[in-house]
Amino acid sequence: MSSGMNAFALSGRLLLRQGRSGALGLLAAGLIVATAALVAVSQFTDRVGRALEREAGEALAADLVVAGRERIDAEIIEQARSQGLDTSEVILMSTAVFVGDDSMLIDVKGVSEGYPLRGELLLADRLGGEEQPHVGIPERGQAWLEPRGLRYLEADTGDMTDLGTRELEISRSLVFEPDRGGSRFMLAPRMMVNLADLLDSELLGPGARARYRLLVAGSEGDVAAFQRWLEPRLDEAELGIITVRDAEDQTGLALTQARRFLGIAALTTVILAAVAILLSALRFASAQRDLVALLKSFGATGNQVMTALSLMLLWLVLVAVIIGGLAGLGAQAMIAQILADGPAGALPPPRLAPVLGGGLFTLLLAAGFALPPLINLRQVPPMRILNRSLDNRIGLSRLLWLLPIAGALAIPVFQLGHTRLALIVLGGSAVLALALALFGWLAMIFTRLLSRRATAAWRFGLAGLHRRRGAGIVQVTALGLGLMALLLLMIVRAELLEQWRGSLPPDTPDHFLVNIQPDQVDGVQEELIRVGARNLQVRPMANVNLVASSGELQRDDRMAGQINLSWIDELPPANEVIAGEFFAPDATGEVSLADMWAQRLGVSLGDELTFESGARRFTATVTSIREVDWNSFNVNFFVLLTPDAGELLPHQYIASFYLADGDGSVLRPLSRTWPNVSVIDVGAIIARIGEIIDRVSSAAQVVFFFTLLAGLVVLLAALEATRDERRHESALIRTLGADNPMVRRGLLIEYGIMAVIAALLATLGSAITGWLLARELFDFAYQPSLRLFVTGFAASVVLVVGSGWLGNRSVLLTPPVRILRTG
Amino acid sequence: MGFSVQAPGGRLDILKDINLSLNETETLAIVGASGSGKTTLLGLLAGLERPTTGELWLAGEHLNRLDENERARLRRRRVGFVFQSFHLLPSLTALENVMLALEIAGLDRPRERATRALDQVGLSHRMAHYPRQMSGGEQQRVAIARAFAGDPAVLFADEPTGNLDRNTGESVARLLFDINREHGTALILVTHDLNLARRCGRIEEIEDGSLVDNQNEAGRERFRLVDKG
Repeated sequence: MSSGMNAFALSGRLLLRQGRSGALGLLAAGLIVATAALVAVSQFTDRVGRALEREAGEALAADLVVAGRERIDAEIIEQARSQGLDTSEVILMSTAVFVGDDSMLIDVKGVSEGYPLRGELLLADRLGGEEQPHVGIPERGQAWLEPRGLRYLEADTGDMTDLGTRELEISRSLVFEPDRGGSRFMLAPRMMVNLADLLDSELLGPGARARYRLLVAGSEGDVAAFQRWLEPRLDEAELGIITVRDAEDQTGLALTQARRFLGIAALTTVILAAVAILLSALRFASAQRDLVALLKSFGATGNQVMTALSLMLLWLVLVAVIIGGLAGLGAQAMIAQILADGPAGALPPPRLAPVLGGGLFTLLLAAGFALPPLINLRQVPPMRILNRSLDNRIGLSRLLWLLPIAGALAIPVFQLGHTRLALIVLGGSAVLALALALFGWLAMIFTRLLSRRATAAWRFGLAGLHRRRGAGIVQVTALGLGLMALLLLMIVRAELLEQWRGSLPPDTPDHFLVNIQPDQVDGVQEELIRVGARNLQVRPMANVNLVASSGELQRDDRMAGQINLSWIDELPPANEVIAGEFFAPDATGEVSLADMWAQRLGVSLGDELTFESGARRFTATVTSIREVDWNSFNVNFFVLLTPDAGELLPHQYIASFYLADGDGSVLRPLSRTWPNVSVIDVGAIIARIGEIIDRVSSAAQVVFFFTLLAGLVVLLAALEATRDERRHESALIRTLGADNPMVRRGLLIEYGIMAVIAALLATLGSAITGWLLARELFDFAYQPSLRLFVTGFAASVVLVVGSGWLGNRSVLLTPPVRILRTG
Repeated sequence: MGFSVQAPGGRLDILKDINLSLNETETLAIVGASGSGKTTLLGLLAGLERPTTGELWLAGEHLNRLDENERARLRRRRVGFVFQSFHLLPSLTALENVMLALEIAGLDRPRERATRALDQVGLSHRMAHYPRQMSGGEQQRVAIARAFAGDPAVLFADEPTGNLDRNTGESVARLLFDINREHGTALILVTHDLNLARRCGRIEEIEDGSLVDNQNEAGRERFRLVDKG
């Protein structure tokens, strides 16, 4: 009992007395940074997870959904009702709406009485108003618009908007609808209207790309019975069934990706922090050897010393959990706000459990990385107090190294909860770190060669760098890794998007008009030319089924079935024939296929394909295979027929064009004259995609900031580990006559070179990554800007030289006479 | 002169009423018990510290009036050092260690001078070796080469044979005095070793921070000084 008390008191004293030592502070800093990154990510993941859970049961707003491309048969609705089920009809479509002169692409949802059958709607009286649960659907003549749409259109409740031929009043702000799915990342904001208004809007003409749903809810048995009745009839009616499970899979796919991405960012931080913890624990332990020898010579047992040191570590963990936990909570609030599209994020509030989980993790981290060097202290012989040469075991025994290794392996599994991904990330970052370390090592060798030709301060600086090359490589690798992650997110990402946009020809179509009826083509075309549309292409489009092939078809679900095709008399732009020959202008009964489509379906040159639309059929021979540049934003089709198909197949037209000033409001008269024609603003969609990428990477920046902090702690820990050596060297050369400016210059050279190496690693690493991404994903040559290099070098110099400066103040203050006192 | 520091219990006098002068080419040994203040005296004489009372002159410069950087610049031109633990930079070769001191002093042709100095201490075959590859005696000879290479006016040696075995110590001592004679520098050494002290022209004993008057018969007898006339 008394030994326990002694250890308890001793641990407190150790913490208080040694608290001022740099190593203990850095040990704590490493633990704090790791805890903060982990709590931030796990707290955010927990909130998203609970949001998904909450939404899962309601994700359909029903128990079962029947989906089709045409309005659901009354017979099916009757059947559901007769089996005692509640029903509600929903129609979804994209269209442009106007408020004043502003327009935007909107996801319209017409709902009938009873919606939602499961879950509830949250509405607000005005933009930013208090959200309240609501029962019932929009009244006729009213529309509910999502806050994002209101903000974009600079509108609020009370404003008027038009939906096709109908004029509606925006009466509520639509905060939450249960069956929105991965809503936070959907491209267009939602507008909910009464089903009758949508049906009257003339938007749903033939060929309109609307999705029709029948929501069904009731007792489990009734729903199952209805499903059994419906299933045999699905194919014939071209319908599908969506169950709650299907919905769960789709819900929040984007959020899951974001979560993984953040998890990986946190993992990098934790790995770097672990390195810092190990370095400072080794340093702290070696500084405690005299004290331990003294305590032992006074009669303390190895166990007492061990207990005291373990307790001390426990206190440190407690401090780290409190400070790191608070920092992590702050960071997760930032992440949630960035990702949740404005301040009214619909995420459930944070809770304590992930912080406690983070605490347990910090304990694991401390046990794995800080405890082994401390355990080692147990072996210090009391004879050391008389003769230091009797104690030269400073390194860890092989068995003790197993702990940090086990810890390093356990961290990602614990943290990502996804073993395979964790191992991939761990392997990937290990390879990256090794590559950086190898490069760092080569750079160090190069500086050693340089030092042969150097003089005075340069010689001293370069020699220092070489002497501490082990620590130096760890430092530049850690810092280079953190910096590279931030440069990639902050600069390379923006440049990639910008350069990709710049790589598109100036007249690249940025608007599409779909659902133009044949008798409207001339009028629409004239109007488009009037408003200044450039690079205008108007193309026929028919929605058909592929019903027969002379060859054997591989039915690829995604490609087969209904397809949109077109006909033309010449090879369109952004297409290249890679097999066969494109048909002549006056050819008949021929078809040209995109290579991707032909491969998926196993169709080759010479095959005969039969397409069907209603009662009409068209048979054609495959005479060419094309490679299509889908990034060109031209109207492109998998299947192109000879022009004679136009007389046989019912069709509509699609137009693509570039609008010089990008102002969609000039299309307003067109939308009013032909309400069935839908405007798709590709520019706005690209902007929205850019915004989503911005959000996810801003959120990741919050976590990568901790990565950079962890890199800094590694830097300081390595500095701390070599501080005595530096003091000694500085005192020596000052005794030999070096003045302070010369010593300072030497240190500046050492750190400056280290900063340059870290900056080279970070900037080249991110530039190469950007170049690979551009080549593989976007198919253009990325050119890193001067800004990337300037920022990278400036940040590296400020961080390395700055922290080197802070860490070495005591070195400069060491009086030269100290050299005489050290023997 | 004197030297004192502020300690928690009040002012602590480490050196009191030291009055000492040394001419060019003269050799002086400072002896005394541990804690008597001999290392502090060496530090003061070499300009590593400034006396708190009295005045101190080195090679014609009034040390009291020079700040730390000015004293460093004086040291690099006029002072050489040999330490008990050699204090070579482990990441530099023997040649580079000697060159570093010459470069700090801003002397021209450092490589040539360093090569000559190492040749003089009999280490021309070890120039590219690192300290860890050399014996203690060899390391001390590199240190002596470093101290002499810049032709200093005064050489300070702090227990130069303290970490060496008897034979090696003897050869290092011989080298020290030989080179001292050839270069015509003054030599001040601090030592416990009375045999080494006796090879100096003068011996000063320090006790509790003050010089002991050994110029009487008893003192001479104590160190069995050979009167060189």
